[in-house]
Amino acid sequence: MERKELIICRCEEVSLTDISSTIEKYQCSSREVKLRTRAGMGYCGGRVCRSLVDKAIAEMKGDQPSDEIPLTYRPPVRPISFRTLGGN
Amino acid sequence: MTSLRITKHPILKLNSKKQILHFTFDNQKFTGVEGDTIASALLANGILTLRRHEESGSPRGVYCNIGHCFECRVIVDGMEGVRACLTPLREGMDVQSGQKLPKPFKTGITEQEFRDYFRAGESQ
Repeated sequence: MERKELIICRCEEVSLTDISSTIEKYQCSSREVKLRTRAGMGYCGGRVCRSLVDKAIAEMKGDQPSDEIPLTYRPPVRPISFRTLGGN
Repeated sequence: MTSLRITKHPILKLNSKKQILHFTFDNQKFTGVEGDTIASALLANGILTLRRHEESGSPRGVYCNIGHCFECRVIVDGMEGVRACLTPLREGMDVQSGQKLPKPFKTGITEQEFRDYFRAGESQ
């Protein structure tokens, strides 16, 4: 499959090419890639693509995933509606 | 279209006397059976596109089918972000697919529009 068509983040529709060009241009950490491309900031909360973004960066930069500033897990771990918390 | 539901299986005993449930998807009438999720009922009806991506409008459907990825989210009885793969089908459910949304802040305005806007402001 074409790298351009290979979607890493499905929620925000970020392709592998988007991520690799961002890394090439800015030589940045995975957190910066996330902020620049929005990969991992979509509806699912990065559950699908977090490790893929980390891995892509590790491969391209040749260092460990989540280098200086790692991609964090933040509450709520799952998107929940206010309805679930009580009330309508 | 003929149903894609498996009714005969060489190993599994399938209960053919399940209650039929009626529901609508994008205002079109469909039927599922008791025990279906919204996703399985639509799949049995040959519907694979559950929504459109908000920005690009590309088609999306079931991806993980375990409630992880939120790719199959639909609008159920007016409530947004309901996962079709986890939500059991109920009689009379109104399911709507997510559609492409407008993006007025993505393109911004041109320099000429910007100038025109402020020139209009000056004359007032």
